[in-house]
Amino acid sequence: MNLHELVIDSAGRHPDRPAVTSPAGYLTYRELDALADALAHRLRRLGVRRGDRVLIWADKSAAAVAAMQAVLRLGAAYVPQPAGTPLDRVSVVARDCSACAVFTTTDRLGLLADVPSLDLADEPAPARAAPVNEPVDPDDLAYILYTSGSTGAPKGVCISHRNARAFVDWAVGMLGAGPDDRFSNHAPFTFDLSVLDLYAAFAAGASVHLIAAELSYAPVQLVDLLHRERITVWYSVPSVLVLMMRDGGLLERPAPERLRAVLFAGEPFPISGVRRLADWTGARLMNLYGPTETNVCTAHTVGPADLGRDRPVPIGAAVCGNKVWAVTDTGEVAGPGGEGELVVDGPTVMLGYFGHPAQSGPYGTGDIVRVLPDGAFDYVGRRDHMVKVRGHRVELGDVEAALNTHPEVEDCAVVVIGDGIEARLTAFIVPKPGFAPGVLGLKRHSAQRLPRYLVADDMRLVHELPRTSNGKVDRRALAARRTSS
Amino acid sequence: MSKEEVVAALIAVIREKFLDGDRSGELTDESPLLEWGVLDSLNTAVLLKVIREDFGVEISPADVDAVHFRDVRSIADLICRTAPSTASIGDVTR
Repeated sequence: MNLHELVIDSAGRHPDRPAVTSPAGYLTYRELDALADALAHRLRRLGVRRGDRVLIWADKSAAAVAAMQAVLRLGAAYVPQPAGTPLDRVSVVARDCSACAVFTTTDRLGLLADVPSLDLADEPAPARAAPVNEPVDPDDLAYILYTSGSTGAPKGVCISHRNARAFVDWAVGMLGAGPDDRFSNHAPFTFDLSVLDLYAAFAAGASVHLIAAELSYAPVQLVDLLHRERITVWYSVPSVLVLMMRDGGLLERPAPERLRAVLFAGEPFPISGVRRLADWTGARLMNLYGPTETNVCTAHTVGPADLGRDRPVPIGAAVCGNKVWAVTDTGEVAGPGGEGELVVDGPTVMLGYFGHPAQSGPYGTGDIVRVLPDGAFDYVGRRDHMVKVRGHRVELGDVEAALNTHPEVEDCAVVVIGDGIEARLTAFIVPKPGFAPGVLGLKRHSAQRLPRYLVADDMRLVHELPRTSNGKVDRRALAARRTSS
Repeated sequence: MSKEEVVAALIAVIREKFLDGDRSGELTDESPLLEWGVLDSLNTAVLLKVIREDFGVEISPADVDAVHFRDVRSIADLICRTAPSTASIGDVTR
C-alpha cells in the first residue's frame, strides 16, 4: 500500500471518524477523502501527471493536508512550503524541483512566475468526485522536504513511498496506534516530524490535531491544547516540552490519563527535563533520532536507568529495518566505547537530493556518536557548521549568504548563542564604511530571502570579525559574546 | 488606554524585545511584522505573554493568525476589541 492509500483505506473503514482537526474545524475521513479527490481533479485539469512536483505554499490547514493527498493520488510528489516563506525562496525551490503547479492561498495566487496556482480556499465541486488513485511504484517520489544548504541554496530531500512507509509502519507498530488515538501535530509540514503525526494517524484511522505555526511556542496555549484535544500521542522538539513545563504550567495539572506517548526528536533533551516529565506522566517517553535524509533511523524508550544519567538519554538503536553503525576517523567501525560518524543504510534512507545523483549505499549523517556497551548510541555532536535551533537544522552559510547580499553589509558571520529553548541565531555584521544598517532593515532583507526560521534573531553591528590564526572567522569567540558589542 | 496608547506601548515592547532597541527608528505601526521576520513563532509567543500579563488581555488562539498579527495597528485593533473595556487595560498596565 502506498502513502496516500492509508487515507483511502481508513476512509473505507472509519468514514465518520475525525481525520484532521485545526482551529478552523475538522474533516472526517469521508470528507478528507472527498476533498482530496476533488482537488486531484483540479490538478489533473491543469495537466499534473504522475512523476510531477506540486508546491503547497500555505499555512497548516485541513485543506493543505487534503492537497497533499490530492498530489499523491495523481502519482505526483508534493513540496510543502510554509506560508511565511518569502516569494524569493519559494521561487528558488520551484525552479529547483521544476514544480508544475502550486496550491496556495488567495493572496498568493499568480505570484510565482510560470507556475500555475490553485486556490486552497476554493470550494470543491459539490458532487462527489470520482476516486483518483494512480498506480505508483514504492520507489516513486512522494514528497520533497527542502532543508537549509551550506552555500545558500536549499537542498531538496527526496522521500519515496517506500521510505515513508518504512517509518510510518514502524511508528504505528511501536505505538500500537489505533482509531482512538489522537496525534498532536506541532512541527511544520516541512519538518519530517510531521510525517509521523500525519501518516501514523492516517494508517491507524486516528485523528491528527494541527497546531498553528503562530502558536507553536505559546506555552499556555499548547498545554491547553494537549488537554482540550485529549491528545494521546504528543510529538515535538524537546525545546517545546521545556517551554511547556517552564512557562505553560504543564506539570501543575495532572497528566491527562489518555496521554500514552510523548515522543521527542531534533535536538538533545536535557536530562533534568526528562526526569520531570517521567515524574509527571506514566506515558511512554521516547527519543527519536534521524536527519531528514533518513527520517527516524534510531530510537530509544526512556527507562529508569536513563533517569540516573547526567547527560541526555541515548538516541538508541536502529529501527525501521535500518542498519546503523559508527565509522571512526580511520574508517573503521567503532566498537563499544568508541566514537564515530553515524552511518545509516536501509529502507528509510532518501532517494537523494532533487537534481543530484541518487543516493546509493549507506548515508553518512555528519553526526558524531558514541557506541554504548549494548550497541546503542549516544549523540555527541556535529562534524561541520550545521547547527540546530530548536530542532530546526540551520546551515550558517545559508543565513550569511542572504545577509551578504544587503547593500550596506561588508561581511558577516552567524553563530548560535545559548542552547535549547534559549538558542538565538545571532548575526555579527560588519557594515560597509559610512553605513549603519538598522535591525529592522536587516531582518526585512533576510526575511525576503529565507524561510522564517533562518532569519537571525539578533543582529549586531561590529567593526570587524574575530579571526583565528589561520584567518578563518573565529566562531567560538563570537558564540562566547553574550552581550551587545 | 486609548488605541493610540496601545499602539505606542506595542511599538516600545517590539523595539526593546525584538529589534535591539531599534536605534534607527525604523519600526512603524504599519511595518509588516511577519513578512519582515520580526515576529516568528517564538516572538509571537513572547508578545502573547506580554499582552496577557502586561495588558491583561487574553487573546483567543483562533485569533492568533497572519491577519491579526500583520502589524502593530492590527494587533492593537485585536487587543482593543478583545479587552472587556479599555479601562481594564489601563488598570493592569498602571
